[in-house]
Amino acid sequence: MAEGIVHNKDAFLNRIASKLGRERTEAVVLPKWKHQPQWEVFKNDGADDLLGTFRKSSMAKSALVIQTERANLAATVKEAIEKYGGGLVVTTKDRRFAEYGLESLLADSKTHVWDAGLGKRNIEIAKQANIGVIFSDISLAESGTIVQFNDKDIARSVSLLPVTYIAIVPQSTLVPRMTQATQMVHQAAAEGKDISTCINFISGPSNSADIEMDIVIGVHGPVEAVHIVVADK
Amino acid sequence: MPMKIGEKPFFGRVDDALEKTFMRTAMASAQDRLRGRKLDATVRDEQIGDWEEWRSAGEEIRRHTLENLDYYLNQLSENFSRKGGHVYFADTAEDATRYIQEVAKKKNAKKVTKAKSMVTEEIGLNEALEEIGCQVFETDLAEYILQIDDHDRPSHIVVPSLHKNKEQIRDTFRDKAGYTGTEEPRELTAFARSQLREVFLEADIGITGCNFAVAESGTISLVTNEGNANMVTTYPDTQISVMGMERLVPTWEELDVMVNLLSRSAVGQKITTYVTNLTPQLEENSVDAPKEFHLVILDAGRSNALGTEFQSALHCIRCAACVNVCPVYRHIGGHAYGSIYQGPIGAVLSPILGGYDEYGELPFASSLCAACSEACPVRIPLHEQLIRHRENYVAQKGKMSEKLAMKAFGIGASTPSLFQGAVKGLPAIMKPLVKDDGISSGPGPMKLWTAVREFPVPEKNNFRSWFKSHKQEGES
Amino acid sequence: MEEWMEMKVSLFITCLAEMFYQDVAKDVVEVLERLGCDVDFPRGQICCGQPAYNSGYRKDAQKAARQMIRSFEHSEFIVTPSGSCAAMFKEYPELFKEEPEWRKRAEALANKTYEFTQFIVNVLHIEDVGAVYPASATYHTSCHMIRLLKETDAPFRLLKNVKGLELLPLENSYDCCGFGGTFAVKMAPISEQMVDEKIRHVEASAATLLIAADNGCLMNIKGRIDRKGKPIEVKHIAQILNTRVEGRK
Repeated sequence: MAEGIVHNKDAFLNRIASKLGRERTEAVVLPKWKHQPQWEVFKNDGADDLLGTFRKSSMAKSALVIQTERANLAATVKEAIEKYGGGLVVTTKDRRFAEYGLESLLADSKTHVWDAGLGKRNIEIAKQANIGVIFSDISLAESGTIVQFNDKDIARSVSLLPVTYIAIVPQSTLVPRMTQATQMVHQAAAEGKDISTCINFISGPSNSADIEMDIVIGVHGPVEAVHIVVADK
Repeated sequence: MPMKIGEKPFFGRVDDALEKTFMRTAMASAQDRLRGRKLDATVRDEQIGDWEEWRSAGEEIRRHTLENLDYYLNQLSENFSRKGGHVYFADTAEDATRYIQEVAKKKNAKKVTKAKSMVTEEIGLNEALEEIGCQVFETDLAEYILQIDDHDRPSHIVVPSLHKNKEQIRDTFRDKAGYTGTEEPRELTAFARSQLREVFLEADIGITGCNFAVAESGTISLVTNEGNANMVTTYPDTQISVMGMERLVPTWEELDVMVNLLSRSAVGQKITTYVTNLTPQLEENSVDAPKEFHLVILDAGRSNALGTEFQSALHCIRCAACVNVCPVYRHIGGHAYGSIYQGPIGAVLSPILGGYDEYGELPFASSLCAACSEACPVRIPLHEQLIRHRENYVAQKGKMSEKLAMKAFGIGASTPSLFQGAVKGLPAIMKPLVKDDGISSGPGPMKLWTAVREFPVPEKNNFRSWFKSHKQEGES
Repeated sequence: MEEWMEMKVSLFITCLAEMFYQDVAKDVVEVLERLGCDVDFPRGQICCGQPAYNSGYRKDAQKAARQMIRSFEHSEFIVTPSGSCAAMFKEYPELFKEEPEWRKRAEALANKTYEFTQFIVNVLHIEDVGAVYPASATYHTSCHMIRLLKETDAPFRLLKNVKGLELLPLENSYDCCGFGGTFAVKMAPISEQMVDEKIRHVEASAATLLIAADNGCLMNIKGRIDRKGKPIEVKHIAQILNTRVEGRK
């Protein structure tokens, strides 16, 4: 695709440079920061510690946490779907569903697997859906956060439009905090790789405290959230 | 001017505010809750280690970024446009709104959804879009409340409707939108959800601000809770993000630090429910992503601060931690500042962006208690910048009477004999004012003091004489 | 303490204390002497210049500052019964940032300046001055003392050891009382609301005595308390500390 159009850049940046009292800077080396407290957080925690922290922080963000084994994952997901009212389910198009033995979920008549080829029809379905099922790519212990690298198959709508999202969290995706996730993206960017058009950090159902500072769960995004942690190592 | 709120002069606005008893109670209780939540998530959260280290990290990153602003903006622009995004560098608010109007016209846009953004308030974008026939929908709950209440103005940069209570919101919803429910926040919120659900999917353009842009990848990062920003950036075919030119970080690694500082300082959360990072990648045939992505980078007076003592004011990440601890804001609320940027950062920023004619009084609306500087997650010395503004203000616009008084002060405070004469003469001068061991009403500037409080009676005896004889006693 | 160990202390009494609060000034002298200090009073001292500085009159503030620097140049320690005035001394290097010679002298001055309670606790290493003061009191932390001097502890350590004194917590203690120097007159309607809230919190604490370590705050709060006729006494911490338990020095 063609590059986008950039307007008025040089005049604008020249003014900034002159206000800063110098010529335009051609090359800047990022300094080694003196203060980097982010790397100290949960530095020595093992997998079980991270899992415990993820549980606690997910619950603090009003997400239900279920732990399961790989062998029981299909049954666990099925139970969770029923617990949250069943109905129409939408999932991302993700080969991990098969890898984790969830073919039965995809094959269910009440499940719609996102298919970019169907165009806007997907959105209509997702809007009607009660539950969206996704995989977490990276999971943050500190804040009970799941990370999605969205694209045309891992569609944004699946975790956004249905009343409830269910995220499958492979235990191997757990990291201490946002620091490790952003480092991965940084490395990709530094190597000149394209990064996903939407990298979304999601921590539980949508909420607002705009009215008298009272927290209300469920605003424009999902009203309920489930994090199913599956042991995968 | 869209940044401006109200037409009255400063003291008229203050008087109006002080009369609003409900608003003031709401402000005080909101402040106490926000302050408590912030402390729980910062200095009291042992998991993250020493909060002061985080503040230093934030300061260090912001300083470096602003010192090399031209470089990082160029990098951002190149990376954003590489995959088809359009970038418009706007010198002024008018340039920004004109560009966005042109995009809207070209797209023949009828409906526009917006996520919360102070910078679009600053440039008056809603009015500009309505002027060309667009219907604009604010979707952040607080902004939605303001919009349907006949475009009421924001009183807080993070929670713009902070001055309203739930009963007032219920009445507004009832009168303007046919709401029939109770004043329960849950029910009011559900109403907003139902009102906006379809609008999100029908909109032609989605508009957002920008919490941070990441230079190395051309990414716009949005830090939100309600899910509305995701709706706004997922369904319309065209997305426009507007950013103050200072709101960027070099790489994703710095984004991590800044998001942590912002989430914890603004709302006491470890991370907000959504941190949504959007990068143009327009060749991909996604069903639920924009086909066109514009980034408007705004100066509008910000460069006035570059290379001056106010440069660090541009380090601000709009968390409102300073607002939430300010004892002046506590009592007068947001509207009295007359600017969409209120509290200490508003008093520092508004004169930079809008000049001393409009906002010259704001730096004086502070007792210099320094609670703001202490709260700032990126260590902006806010109370010191207020003094710097005062210096500029009196140099440009100071009253002659005050200048003379301060000159006299300077002479008096550097000439011991004059000062001693004044100390000795004071009791006699003030004697006529003393009634029942107090001074309840004084002349001139003293009147402003005695209008509120008693003035102390000057000492008749001389401390220096006492000290001298006291020392002599000791020696004998 | 041995005679030869006597600490030489220069008193910076502050213009407010000199003009309006001589009892406080005398109490400061007597407490320091009782704790073994040799107190002198540099006669050239006037005002730290903060009123001009905070109002935006830098040049006029510099005049005051130069006078103070000259007056205290030979002092070993400078002690002042005001967190705010001590903080202003600490601000002098910034005030002279464009005059290297004066900046150096300003730094020397700043480095030897202590607020009264800070000096007793951190330099003399004394926390019990042998005072007795039976009362139910609360303490107002002045903004400049806690945020600019960053001294949050010393007054409390001293008050904890005052016999008979019950120290009650003060809600929203961190909020400014509304003094702010010229702020109190320039922004009188706002200042009034701030001091009223402060007094409401003092009343809610059930204390009958309010103690603080800054005469500026005290002048403001006491002025308002007296105007409203509230039955609350207001005292500087030196007045509390300059009381004695029978039989002790």
